[in-house]
Amino acid sequence: MTEARLTFGRCMVLGLAWTILGFLVLPMVVIFPVSLTDQYYLSLPQESLSLEHYVKFFTNEIWLSATGQSFIIATCSTIAAVILGTLCAIGCWRISSRASEAVRAFMLLPIIVPTVVQALALYRFWIDLRIVDTYFGVILAHTLICIPYVVITVSASLANFDLRVEQAARNLGASVSQTIRMVVVPQIMPGILSGAIFAFTISFDEIVTVLFITSRHIYTLPKRIWNGIQDHLDPTIAAVATLLIVVTLLLLLAELWLRKRRDAARANR
Amino acid sequence: MERNVIRSGSKLAPSSFSAAPHALSLKGIVKRYGDLAAVDGVSLDIPRGSFLTLLGPSGSGKTTILMSIAGFVRPTEGDILLDGARINDLPPEKRNFGMVFQGYALFPHMTVAENVWFPLRVRGQSFPESERAVMDVLQLVQLDHLKDRLPSELSGGQQQRVALARALVFKPDLLLLDEPLSALDKKLRADLQWELKDLHEKLGTTFIYVTHDQEEALSMSDEIVILRDGKIEQMGKPGDLYEKPATSFVADFLGKSNFIRARLIASTGPDQATYAVGEQEFNLRPAPATVGPGETVAIALRPEKIDISVTEPETTNRLKATIRQFNYHGTSFHLRVSAAPLGDLFVTVQAWRCGITPSINGELWISWEPEAGVVVRETVAIDDRPSPDGV
Ligand SMILES: Nc1ncnc2c1ncn2[C@@H]1O[C@H](COP(=O)(O)OP(=O)(O)O)[C@@H](O)[C@H]1O
Ligand SMILES: [Mg+2]
Repeated sequence: MTEARLTFGRCMVLGLAWTILGFLVLPMVVIFPVSLTDQYYLSLPQESLSLEHYVKFFTNEIWLSATGQSFIIATCSTIAAVILGTLCAIGCWRISSRASEAVRAFMLLPIIVPTVVQALALYRFWIDLRIVDTYFGVILAHTLICIPYVVITVSASLANFDLRVEQAARNLGASVSQTIRMVVVPQIMPGILSGAIFAFTISFDEIVTVLFITSRHIYTLPKRIWNGIQDHLDPTIAAVATLLIVVTLLLLLAELWLRKRRDAARANR
Repeated sequence: MERNVIRSGSKLAPSSFSAAPHALSLKGIVKRYGDLAAVDGVSLDIPRGSFLTLLGPSGSGKTTILMSIAGFVRPTEGDILLDGARINDLPPEKRNFGMVFQGYALFPHMTVAENVWFPLRVRGQSFPESERAVMDVLQLVQLDHLKDRLPSELSGGQQQRVALARALVFKPDLLLLDEPLSALDKKLRADLQWELKDLHEKLGTTFIYVTHDQEEALSMSDEIVILRDGKIEQMGKPGDLYEKPATSFVADFLGKSNFIRARLIASTGPDQATYAVGEQEFNLRPAPATVGPGETVAIALRPEKIDISVTEPETTNRLKATIRQFNYHGTSFHLRVSAAPLGDLFVTVQAWRCGITPSINGELWISWEPEAGVVVRETVAIDDRPSPDGV
């Protein structure tokens, strides 16, 4: 009896879980056959499968330039966010007072504030700074957006780092910067790399802020897709989306692998 | 394998790891955390080349003092002087003090050789240049064959030696050790005590050693500082502290003690006093300088200074006693006897010359020399102290 009730409850929960999962995953899965369509508009393949839209992506100047721009922006903002976020996390960890906890909480604010609100705020401010529609403006905005993720992953790595190891380095004659370079950073590398992967993925995919703070000069890949959908339903978009999903998946798998290694290192200690 | 780490016949000169010994002074060190004074007015002079031990129970402020010397804790008040020069404001990396941390704090991502090379590397020495020094110090602690291992691949005793080698390779002015043996098992700990002491003699460097283990402190130190609640309770040579504890805390913490609360009656000679418990009178030599007749005193009496016999001994300090409990320890018997009017006393007798076979409720005589008792100040109440362990 108990079993029957349990089974019914389980069925409900399982059904709900699979439905939600389907809603989340199916749109992504449907993109893939669409990208192989033989038609010239966004649709499922009719007669045969075709790779022509992938060829178009790799030969079209506009798509390649958008990819290049996204790549430059994501790389630069990742580097900046990793450096600043890591330093912030190490600083908060070393000081480890109520004030530094407040700083760390403050750093997470960009995650909590609605993206549109943040984008609008950046837009207003960027006008005054005269950096709207420049590489610098977008990189700066993306750096700000990505820093919290780096702070989170690096802080997680530092949480199980023995403060005495850092003190030992100082005692043995290493300055603060030598200690960070030679002792702290090598040991929190998995956390830093995780943060870098997050930052890169987020910057590469980001569109809301980009739509606000760019106009004619900067065309990142997501913005080009967005415009593509609005102009005409070019199936190249599906090809690009598929490529993006694959790259993102690979990066996230790399992150998972790193996290596993980090946990293994923790278990060893 | 773990024994004889310091090769006596070793060709290298150990003095190549020691700078000229330095003297350290602490002047009125206070460290407060909010309302709590972790260290409360500690003043010390540590002579050149000595082996000084800070001994005290957990929470008595030992680590805080050591961390102030190393530069990781900034004293709220007081000065730290190295050869007379104030070093309060010197950052840790400029102090040139070697330190063996509680738990060793080795760099887990570096091999043994890289760990030991680290202090030379941050001083700008390249590996070929410093390889000789690294290998020499690894030889000194007999770890040269493990130089390419990671710390996680070493035993506790080996890790301890890497920490020691790393703290010595740059010829520190002082060596600070925070409970370096507390994580090791008993036998290994005893071996390493010999080795550390040997190392101290060879190097001549000033050692400041922190422990909560009284046996370790007694066996290794030139001088012991006993701490309680952040204050110095008593300091002196191990033998003096053991034989002449000034307070009940010291008598009980350093070794074990029975305590007798007695009334001082009179000085019966230039150098002798009499005390009484109830009607029973006992002799004490020498007469205490600080208390006079009529006053109540606490007298510490070491368990091993009490003799036992079957027949009544020819001395004033004797009582008839009944055995309540006994433990056999190989080298000795630990007895708990009840002797009116003193109540329960602990007695340690060497097993092989014990004249009797102890049995519960067995009767015997106990006696002690007038010199055996020591009048102590009662800093810890003697009535509700925990009984000495081991019985
Ligand atoms: N950073 C700190 N903040 C607050 N209290 C501390 C701190 N460090 C030590 N204490 C307190 O100071 C006292 C002495 O600590 P410690 O020097 O570590 O003692 P010991 O090494 O003798 O065990 C303890 O009561 C401890 O709780
Ligand atoms: Mg301690």
